[in-house]
Amino acid sequence: MNNLHEALEICLQDMEQGADLETVLFRYPDLAEELRPILEAVAGAKSLAVPAPSVEVVRRNRARVLHTAAQYAAQMRESGVKPTRRLWFAPLRRIAVTLAILTVLFVSGTGLVGASSNTLPGDNLYPVKRTWEGVRLLFTFKGLEREALEVEQENERLHELNELIKEGRSAEVDFNGLVTSQNGNEWVVAGVRVLVSSQTDIRDQGIVVGSPVEVRGLTQADGTVLAERIRLLSSDAKLPDVEDGHEPEAGNENNSGPGSGEEQPKVEETETPEFENENENSGHGNNSGSNENQNENENSNSNESSGTGNPNNESNENSDNENEGNESRNENSGEGSNKNENENENENNSGGSENSSSGGGESGEGD
Amino acid sequence: MSVFNEPHALDGLQNLDSQAIAAIYDQYFSEVYRYVRYRINDDSLAEDIASDVFMRLLEAAQKKQGPRSSLKGWLIATASHAVNDHLRKEYRRPVEALSDSLPDREPSVHSEVDSREQNRLVQSAYAQLTAEQQHVLALRFGQGYSIEETAVHLNKNINAVKALQFRALASLQRQIGEVNHE
Repeated sequence: MNNLHEALEICLQDMEQGADLETVLFRYPDLAEELRPILEAVAGAKSLAVPAPSVEVVRRNRARVLHTAAQYAAQMRESGVKPTRRLWFAPLRRIAVTLAILTVLFVSGTGLVGASSNTLPGDNLYPVKRTWEGVRLLFTFKGLEREALEVEQENERLHELNELIKEGRSAEVDFNGLVTSQNGNEWVVAGVRVLVSSQTDIRDQGIVVGSPVEVRGLTQADGTVLAERIRLLSSDAKLPDVEDGHEPEAGNENNSGPGSGEEQPKVEETETPEFENENENSGHGNNSGSNENQNENENSNSNESSGTGNPNNESNENSDNENEGNESRNENSGEGSNKNENENENENNSGGSENSSSGGGESGEGD
Repeated sequence: MSVFNEPHALDGLQNLDSQAIAAIYDQYFSEVYRYVRYRINDDSLAEDIASDVFMRLLEAAQKKQGPRSSLKGWLIATASHAVNDHLRKEYRRPVEALSDSLPDREPSVHSEVDSREQNRLVQSAYAQLTAEQQHVLALRFGQGYSIEETAVHLNKNINAVKALQFRALASLQRQIGEVNHE
């Protein structure tokens, strides 16, 4: 039987080369009787073959396919970056609650707020601190000032986190930052080592190195944060200026740089508007402070371009150092004045990383 | 006209890149259409199914389930499934319906009438074959693939394809005989 199948294939190939039916059958006299009807059927099978579709058919369906492809591509882009709601878009209900708490606070005395200013997550007065932050934000209407306050509060979240880690305390924290490393289950966000487990709620796909994210989790004794939830933030989200603020400031303290170590604590709350004006007008203000901030930015840029993720441990240590000596700086405007450049830098970073990483990630998937 | 670069096109497809998809379409639409049209004796239906194959390709790419190596293999396999799905829905179409679906052209000479009649007979006989037999004949005699390439598409060894091809042709010959006697 195999001979018959083999003979048919040889006959087909010969006929493909131009041989006629009788010629090819002549090679297989024993099989000719069986092969003849089969080879006659080949002519029928070939007669069903059709030419290429008309130009009109090709053109019409090409337009249809490409139109659908464009729609799918748009959907893919939309699902990649979901806009996230920011604090200052909080619903009216939250504002009402805040106002109620504000009233209570004024009645009971603002000393409570002062007492809460150094609290950490898990402390009894910590909710007061967060509420007071919300109140401050609520009554800050000027755009730049508000952004400065938001960045300052994000910095405070990181500061609290580092304090908790230093004290070896476990408490629930939430903070924002850029993902600077994704090494298996261990990520680095804003210089903090974040452990991602199967329990971690990661709703947003496409979180890559460079993505701005919000992390909620528990601090661990080993200096990591066990993530409960990680959400992708929009590219314009306010992030702590971890690179700008922590590393160079620690360097200032360690190296006793020219004047910079002393200048920052001197910056008082009242200078905040001056720094804002400085940003807006590029003019007057504390020149030494602004120069210093520019230097900090340059430092951070060089760090980032030379490779994210390397200085993770350093940044943790630095932020610890910084936190020891700069409690009062939380209210100053030195960090706030960095924010515009920080944000631009963050946006650029996140965009670039998304582009470069998404291609690689997708190409790795498939069936 | 630029040379089609399959690995590059596959990469672009994953990102739903319009240029890559246009290149894939230009490269393979005609081939897919001819396969479907061979198996289904209806121009507009064949056009719809061939187009649908590319829609399925886009959907698969969007779900990150698209082809990773052989685009043509994926497209022809998907076309085969799409045709089988269609034929299942139209299970055992009457032979008369086939002749109705033939385009009504004005016969000019007797030979053309004979040719069309012969084609109708073969078409009716072909429609009686199993899906696998139809598939192997479409690849070998519709697309003109070699026995080796057909084996790759069928995911079978060459000897198995030779046997399948033999049975398909024998069955076709038998069905032509039966249709002739009706």
